[in-house]
Amino acid sequence: MKKVKIKKDQSAYFWFFSFFALILLFFFGITSPYLGVYWLFGILFGFVLQKSRFCFVAAFRDPIIAGSTSLFRAVLVAMAIMTVSFTLIQYNAIQGGAIAIPGRISPVGVHTIAGGFIFGIGMVIAGGCATGTLMRIGEGFLMQGIVLVGFLIGTLWGAWDYPWWERVFISKSPTVHLAQYFGWTGAVLFQLVLIAVLYYIAKKYDDQNNILL
Amino acid sequence: MKQKIIIGPWSYLTGAILLAILNTLLFAVMHTPWQITTAITYWAAWILKFFGGTPENWHYFANSASRSEGLSQHFLSNNLSLMNLGVILGALLAVLIASQFRVKKIKSPKQIIAALLGGIIMGYGTRIALGCNIGAFFSAIPSLSLSGWVWGISAFIGAWIGSKLLIKYLL
Amino acid sequence: MAEVRLDCLFEACPIPLIKTMQRLKVLNQGDVLIVETDHSCATKNITEWVGKQKLLCQVVEVSNGEWEIYIKKVR
Repeated sequence: MKKVKIKKDQSAYFWFFSFFALILLFFFGITSPYLGVYWLFGILFGFVLQKSRFCFVAAFRDPIIAGSTSLFRAVLVAMAIMTVSFTLIQYNAIQGGAIAIPGRISPVGVHTIAGGFIFGIGMVIAGGCATGTLMRIGEGFLMQGIVLVGFLIGTLWGAWDYPWWERVFISKSPTVHLAQYFGWTGAVLFQLVLIAVLYYIAKKYDDQNNILL
Repeated sequence: MKQKIIIGPWSYLTGAILLAILNTLLFAVMHTPWQITTAITYWAAWILKFFGGTPENWHYFANSASRSEGLSQHFLSNNLSLMNLGVILGALLAVLIASQFRVKKIKSPKQIIAALLGGIIMGYGTRIALGCNIGAFFSAIPSLSLSGWVWGISAFIGAWIGSKLLIKYLL
Repeated sequence: MAEVRLDCLFEACPIPLIKTMQRLKVLNQGDVLIVETDHSCATKNITEWVGKQKLLCQVVEVSNGEWEIYIKKVR
């Protein structure tokens, strides 16, 4: 009954591509040290994502279809760690005389809701978010290649329409950094408590839900 | 032990902690955290340029110094583009070290349509929300930006509707 | 004590998981379901979900990047 197939050893390919990555690291690094750093970080991100099967789509989707929140909770743990470390980096930058707070701080408004909403639909249907798509292309999924083609078309379309969104929503939306309202310590504590509450709810939800069986 | 590390899979928690550390290091060294889709937009624009388009005249690129600079570079000279290529190669290495690489075929035309449509609305969404699940969420919430939380809630509602659509049409 | 195969090759997440759920629901106690998949994430989320249902489960890698998940419906 069991299908017997031969599993080939692919470690030779692993060493080949590692060597390839190393040579490229040298070439990028010699062009500009920054490029080498980004290249290296990309490889590390990709490696960790694949090895831990870290999928942001599943973090959002599995609570809904399977009542499972393990990935969602893992994302929360990462958020908690980074809340502390990012804030320290931001605080030190401001103390060191930086004019703007570093990090990803964007205007929040209708465009955030609209964009997040359609992204949410898209990632479930396509079976991969932005990172998941890149990671699965590396894994050999041809379907994710098609997703990337769609993604390329979508970003161009979005860039073309961007002036309208900017005029109507983005330029009128406030940029809210939590430390403005709660202070640095207050913002970190507020966010950590919020994450802890979400974690607790997610755990309870997971324990109580046995969907479909 | 060795088997567990090389073959995997690692636990989600291990992945989460490592990603958090990596993102922190990247932020500390390069002063900007992880992002994905800005470079995907460059990819699209470079392809358009190759086929004779003039994205450099678009408001989106022309009105931003960093975007016009990014656009003037190419696949292997733009830092964010390189990082994305690195993610693909890193995933490939992770699969190969476990001898689990296989080209996964496409089963049906339905999958192609779903993949294309899903990709298009994701791409559009990233431009108007100013980022994807990494730039507008995974790097935004730790930056103490309210936009990250709003994006997360919106994407969750979107994922809920997406799941309904998936079960109805794709199963 | 039937043994049922479920072909989920080339299916993207979360379709293997949903199909597994639906199929397990109609199986009888003691039956074994064998899920064939090439999606690395599916092996993880299916085993997690099956474990939560307190069913027995074993993953076998039959070829490079291709798995069979044996699930015994013990209850």
